[in-house]
Amino acid sequence: MQIHLPSRYRNPVSSLSKKHPASMTETSLTVAVIDPSSLRAAILEEGLRAAGVDSVVVVPDGPDLQARVGALKPDVVVVHLESPSRDILEQMSGISRHVERPVAMFVDRSDATMMQAAVDAGISAYVVDGLRTERIKPILDIAILRFNAFARLQRELMEAKSELADRKVIDRAKGILMSRKGLPEEEAYKLLRKQAMNEKRKIIDIARAIVTAADLLG
Amino acid sequence: MRVDLGYVPLTDAAPVIAAAELGFAREEGIDLVLSPEPSWATLRDRLALGHLDAAHMLAPLALATRLGLSGPQADLVAPMALNLNGNAITVSLPLWEAMAPEADDLDAVASAFARLAMARAGEGRPLTIATVHPFSCHSYQLRIFAERGGLDLGRAVRIVVVPPPQTVDALRRGEIDGFCVGAPWNSIAVAAGLGRIAALGCEIVPDCPEKVLAVHGSQAEALSPLVEALHRAGTWCADPANVGELAGLLSEKGGLGPDTDLIRRTLTGHLVVDPTGLCRTAPDYLRLGSSVHRPRPEHRAWLARQMAASGQIADATEVCEEAEAFYRPSLLKA
Repeated sequence: MQIHLPSRYRNPVSSLSKKHPASMTETSLTVAVIDPSSLRAAILEEGLRAAGVDSVVVVPDGPDLQARVGALKPDVVVVHLESPSRDILEQMSGISRHVERPVAMFVDRSDATMMQAAVDAGISAYVVDGLRTERIKPILDIAILRFNAFARLQRELMEAKSELADRKVIDRAKGILMSRKGLPEEEAYKLLRKQAMNEKRKIIDIARAIVTAADLLG
Repeated sequence: MRVDLGYVPLTDAAPVIAAAELGFAREEGIDLVLSPEPSWATLRDRLALGHLDAAHMLAPLALATRLGLSGPQADLVAPMALNLNGNAITVSLPLWEAMAPEADDLDAVASAFARLAMARAGEGRPLTIATVHPFSCHSYQLRIFAERGGLDLGRAVRIVVVPPPQTVDALRRGEIDGFCVGAPWNSIAVAAGLGRIAALGCEIVPDCPEKVLAVHGSQAEALSPLVEALHRAGTWCADPANVGELAGLLSEKGGLGPDTDLIRRTLTGHLVVDPTGLCRTAPDYLRLGSSVHRPRPEHRAWLARQMAASGQIADATEVCEEAEAFYRPSLLKA
């Protein structure tokens, strides 16, 4: 799952991968989570812990990111696709003899579907050179699930918010009809609905028109 | 045809912004949707995996993506160059003072930088200099600048990446001693009273390949109207008569900040290089327009050599064939 570069491209295996004998389970991995959204980072952190990854560290997406990641020496960095700090990580993991490299670039050639799913979910990952596929895949699976769930929740929240906003406009329109035409609430709502049906428009559109007109005409 | 094009807010994104905002794309039948990207890695991944159809991209990064050296491998090609040059090396005022070059020419400045960098490395507190991405001409220009002064950059200097919009703050906090970035960020550091433009990219590497239009090879033919639109937009951008309007457009729509005079200076090459207002004129500081759009064969060889010199590939000759397929000058009709 890592870059399989010809050996002449490769740097000496970093001390990090030596740290973990192949037999260890993933509880021994250190995972860094970097995300401009601290809420989403917390959700992923919780998901990884629940899955048995003991050492999960949320690294703030701030100016001292390089120092923090450098000191933490994580095995896996899960970073939001849109983090402005991604180029910093690329430099740290760069294919160059000149750089310190706590992490190697995660490039999944063998599993294109996984890569696409990760990017679609807004995830990018960097893993230490030499870490085996089967140890990374569960971490990415969790990240994809959690990020997608977060996006869904956010969408639902947006919808709920806009529904609430619509409800307020309709209430105002009803209020205007009640006071101007002396109607009881139920009749005012019926009038709105009837007008919407006649004009083949949504009730909220009629309500907005009434509110705008009332605002303009005073 | 809808085309999603990613870019990073910089002066050299001018052709793509002009194409979208001034009707060049529409006239070619293209609904050009621009997407500002927060990092080069984000832009690369989005393009490689199909979220974007095209991108304003660092030439070395596009080639590295094709070679499978950076991010998900993708069959990227460059039908046209968007600009040449545009970068500069800016150092903090304390570093410039300590360097105290004997003259303001490139050799004197590079020697002064090398002397100071070696002294600092000797004291165990090496200089920290920022670039924008490992696969960038900025990184290569820094190395070439250091070599010009007789310095092995990788041994004596700590190289980090700082996203260009954060370079001013990083300089202010003393986290970095200098940086090599594209316009307008050098000028912004000078205007903030924090930096001295020490060397211009165009004097370190004349006619340096900077940003290209990158698209998937399989879509390159279908996107020829986009190439035509960007060619016309880039030509418009290079016309001195349009500089004022372009500076306003980049400020308003390009995310380059409110200082239109500063943006105009990066377009015309009349740069303020230090906070006292000292000016330098370099007409080639940032080259746009029809004379730079056609990909040049010598550029792909240069990019391969720089990758090799930076330790990113073992041998430039190995990648030259791939690099040849990367540039597609035949797609530029004009």
